Amino acid sequence: MAERISSLLRRSVEHLEQEVPASYRLLLAQLGPMVVELDVDGEVFSLRGGHRLQVSDGAAEVAGARIATSRCTIIDVLDARVALGEAVEAGTVSVRGSLDDVQRAHDSLLAYVHAAVRAPSQPTLLSELRAGPP
Amino acid sequence: MSAVLAGSDFLRAPVLASARPHGFKEWHHFVVHGRGLRLLINFSLTNEVSGTGHARLAPRVIVIAHDDRWTGAIERFDDHALDVSAELDGLTIGDNRMTVAPDGYHVAIDLSDKGIRGELDFASASRPFVVNNQPVGDGRMSWLFVPRLRAQGWLRIGDREHRIDNDLAYHDHNWGRFWWGDDFGWTWGTLLPKASDEPWSMVYLQMTDRSRLRCLSQALYVWHHDEPAVIFRHAAVQTRSHGVLGRAADCTLPPPMRLLLDGDVPGVPKRIEIAATRAGDTVHAEFRSQSYARLAQPSEVRLDRSTVLCEASGTARASGTISGESVDFVGTGVFEFLHG
Repeated sequence: MAERISSLLRRSVEHLEQEVPASYRLLLAQLGPMVVELDVDGEVFSLRGGHRLQVSDGAAEVAGARIATSRCTIIDVLDARVALGEAVEAGTVSVRGSLDDVQRAHDSLLAYVHAAVRAPSQPTLLSELRAGPP
Repeated sequence: MSAVLAGSDFLRAPVLASARPHGFKEWHHFVVHGRGLRLLINFSLTNEVSGTGHARLAPRVIVIAHDDRWTGAIERFDDHALDVSAELDGLTIGDNRMTVAPDGYHVAIDLSDKGIRGELDFASASRPFVVNNQPVGDGRMSWLFVPRLRAQGWLRIGDREHRIDNDLAYHDHNWGRFWWGDDFGWTWGTLLPKASDEPWSMVYLQMTDRSRLRCLSQALYVWHHDEPAVIFRHAAVQTRSHGVLGRAADCTLPPPMRLLLDGDVPGVPKRIEIAATRAGDTVHAEFRSQSYARLAQPSEVRLDRSTVLCEASGTARASGTISGESVDFVGTGVFEFLHG
């Protein structure tokens, strides 16, 4: 059985904290105390900022931004087959929240990617993401 | 020219990176100007410092090809996948291998995970040239280039197999200590004629600041048959860039970097004119971009920036007079635009 997306994200941010601590701190600063709720193919979990990044299973009571998408779309965006903006326009990524919070969530995503491309562990995690069902 | 390459184009990393690893980089770069095909192969070593402060050389192999559009891959390997031969004339990265021979190079590519395999021999057709300690931001870079080689072999990418049959090619080898994202940019070009009996080969280099607004140095290197004919430097060279190519990059590698680049990185100029004059010698060269690929890596200076190499293929044209001989050819160009 493929690893849950929430588990992959939890391992990913733990590696970032160890491998690229300065980038991790930038990501923390970018996200601030906001909670982002994610729904990937029906698996609902949330990413919480603060002193450390925390990935929690289940729906968030209060979330600044709520993002729904699929594992397939995440891989398409990471493989550059689809731009993130195109995925949003096509409805394969749905984002809800106030404009400020959505902007903060987007900036946090970029900070996460900046950190991930500097961390040696992340290609393996990406391979595990690919190993999931299409 | 026998043994010129073996004597000068050896790997520097085992000595220089061991002595002082911080910021060290080295790569061997090959460009094939094939009939209907442009091919770039790059073996690179970059010193990286882990979160715990441990320094290591990160090896990468880059292969991109263009027939109707650019495609290819960047593969990063663990440091234990790297081997340098005792004579410093061979570099093995995973199942990929580059060997310096007395008068050429042998390159074997096996990136099976990416569907890329190939084997090429490059025979030098021109004398190499070395430029030492070029300033790049707070660092220095040295480079050796061979303006013209003959390439023979094959390369398979996905379901396409390309035959390279005595096609013209270019090689450079770069090493030094500098940091991606520091205050520098460059435009680097190889211009070769379409007709293989045409004797002229040209290499162009312009170093700028990071914003690409201030030119720090530039040169046009012109070879006639296998020898340097004239080197135009600094004020002897005038470069004009026209417009922006009206199409997006064919590909961004590694693909996840597209998330960070879209809307944030300039593309490539539509056309570049290079006019060079010195002591009665004149050359007017022109490169017209057709399409490009983006090779991206994290900035080493800022954690929220990326460094992008735009590799553009296009047509080239050159005219002028050197030592009383007429220069007049059409051909192909591959230009690299570095955005810091």
